[in-house]
Amino acid sequence: MRRVVIIGTGQAGRRTAEALRELDPAAEILLLGAEPHPPYDRPPLSKAVLLGSNPGNALFVRAPGFYAEKRIDLRTGTRVEAIDPAVRCVLTEAAEAIAYDSLVIATGAQARRLALPGAEDPRVMTLRTLEDAEALCARLADRPRIAVVGGGLIGLEVAASARQRGCPVTVLEAADRLMARCVPPVISAMAAELHRRHEVVLHLGCALRSILPRSFGLVLDAGAVQLEADLVVVGIGGVPNIALAEAAGIAVQDGILTDGQGRTSHADIYAAGEVARFPHPFFGRRVRLEAWQVAQNQPAAVARAICGQAGDYDEIPWHWTDQFDWNLQVLGDPDPSFELIQRPSEGARLTAIALDGEGRARGAVLINNGRDATPCRRLLAGGKQLDAVLLRDPAVPLRQFL
Amino acid sequence: MAEWHRVAAEEELKPETPLGIRVGEVQIALVRLEDGIFAVNDVCTHEYALLSEGYCEDGKLECPLHQACFDIRTGKALTEPAEVDVATYPVKVEGGAVFVQV
Repeated sequence: MRRVVIIGTGQAGRRTAEALRELDPAAEILLLGAEPHPPYDRPPLSKAVLLGSNPGNALFVRAPGFYAEKRIDLRTGTRVEAIDPAVRCVLTEAAEAIAYDSLVIATGAQARRLALPGAEDPRVMTLRTLEDAEALCARLADRPRIAVVGGGLIGLEVAASARQRGCPVTVLEAADRLMARCVPPVISAMAAELHRRHEVVLHLGCALRSILPRSFGLVLDAGAVQLEADLVVVGIGGVPNIALAEAAGIAVQDGILTDGQGRTSHADIYAAGEVARFPHPFFGRRVRLEAWQVAQNQPAAVARAICGQAGDYDEIPWHWTDQFDWNLQVLGDPDPSFELIQRPSEGARLTAIALDGEGRARGAVLINNGRDATPCRRLLAGGKQLDAVLLRDPAVPLRQFL
Repeated sequence: MAEWHRVAAEEELKPETPLGIRVGEVQIALVRLEDGIFAVNDVCTHEYALLSEGYCEDGKLECPLHQACFDIRTGKALTEPAEVDVATYPVKVEGGAVFVQV
């Protein structure tokens, strides 16, 4: 009987445990995590939780009795301090040595901090954990003036939620457009319009230099722009939690380097979820993806590897964000260098498909048009050359191109 | 006490093209499949979204927001992020009209 130890009780850790149980009814499965809660999904933190419409038990996905029923030994509040690959064990904060046959590192990422003067002030927050979200939610009740640093997904979701709670909100983004890492410029412009329509003040191309803590608030100095806020929320990306792996001599490079099934440079040690940097067939290179989809499904490939089964993780990349009345979904890689075919439909819905130089769909962006996600995914997977003129006609259904 | 409500004309329902309707406070997605017309609760059990605005294929409805899939005949939640099934309602067709029991 194999004993599998999983470090990290986030979504990827939970999914690894579940997938393993499906494949191996006999395995001993230990799920260890520093967080005090059972595994929960993070997407609602910046939306439902901040809006105060607490999703409650749904946040935890599984019922309290689930882990015992599946014979998953869930140990919350158990921080792992070290991995010793030579003797195949992990050492916890409480100095307990736990032996493994296979080890899965699913330590996720943490919010990147601002490395600026004044950033250590307690009124400067990040959003990553349930505690972060609950603390921020509580503070929004007084309708503080909010400055969001970073116009990416988290920053804009926080901006939308805080605005909906009645707070005055300003977003500072260093790039010249919003969500620059995941959507083409024309979509960024639409997102800017959405936020301005909801009275979010946007400063693009605006790099923060320092935060001056004052008794009356925080003064943000961004060169040409100076502003006062009561609360600063920093959303400038994630940093993978690789310290444990690195200290154990496992190969890392902005993530733990793995193959398509999560195998690291060390035998019997795997990485799952957003901490892993793995070769993705869609991109044709190694990527590290911070997305619900990867945390949900890449662990199944890891579980297969542990059980001696083949099958790389190879889904068409997909992620979503919900901001105000927008549901935005991004599939594949809508790189700004591609031609973007826009297919608008009634009710301000949009499907935009990015074609490469050979007319193959490489990415798609959907605004309130989720019914096109499945056909778009198939277009991206099919790799067929598409007729741009025909595709530009929204009256021609996408099914016709499959 | 559940009652029958006339909700649509039969000819309004094209194959695998969901129709969102409302009976009082209850939102319902009606779908014609090869073996008949089925009715499920239109609201995704994960987050608020109308399943009738999603993609429909192979007897399944896909939530337009987060791609959770439901079996139209049984209401069963087939894929995450949804964990909870949607309700189903009895359907009958009489004289070219579709009735749902709610």
